Amino acid sequence: MCSTGGPIDVELDEGLKGKKYRCNDCGAVFEAVGRHPVCPSCQSENVTEV
Amino acid sequence: MRVPLSCGYLLIRGESSFFLVARAPDTFALPIETNDAEVFQGVHRGDLIVVSAPEGGDPEQARMLCELVRTYRQPMVVLPKGHPGSSRLRMVISVAPAIMPKADIIRGTHPDQDVICSSGELSGLGMAADGECVCIEGFDPNRMEYLLFPPGPLSL
Ligand SMILES: [Zn+2]
Repeated sequence: MCSTGGPIDVELDEGLKGKKYRCNDCGAVFEAVGRHPVCPSCQSENVTEV
Repeated sequence: MRVPLSCGYLLIRGESSFFLVARAPDTFALPIETNDAEVFQGVHRGDLIVVSAPEGGDPEQARMLCELVRTYRQPMVVLPKGHPGSSRLRMVISVAPAIMPKADIIRGTHPDQDVICSSGELSGLGMAADGECVCIEGFDPNRMEYLLFPPGPLSL
């Protein structure tokens, strides 16, 4: 991700198009970008696209 | 070229720009906040965290930026296109197993994780995580140098 960044700021002209995933370990549903999503609640990599 | 890098930093610098390279110590979800949504990028243990300073600057600033991501998992806030604050942001950060700098992309416009904006002098320098090392392709000792630092503030 080429993100113009100060400590906390990025700029993305094309916006961020994430895909929705469900964590198979804790059930959390979240949106993620990138090829290898990680659950934000329990940090599990055992997730399925929904 | 393979450079060993555990939890310290690798500074690669040219005449007027630099990269600071570090590795992610753990696997985690990095939050990215937009004005109306939250998305997460998966960061994996050993992934490279690269801060690029196309116009140069203080490498210590880059180190802090790197730590905000890899240690503190500081959420990144996305500015909408054309935001007046964008021009104040001088350093960019990228997280991926392999990163290819490019000078010919418009800063902040490339959501592809494995590309980072750079100056012309450092474009074409490929970086990839390889076990406890960073593999660097295209390193030209006549035009650039590299320095290794232990964890903690950089002693330059
Ligand atoms: Zn989970």
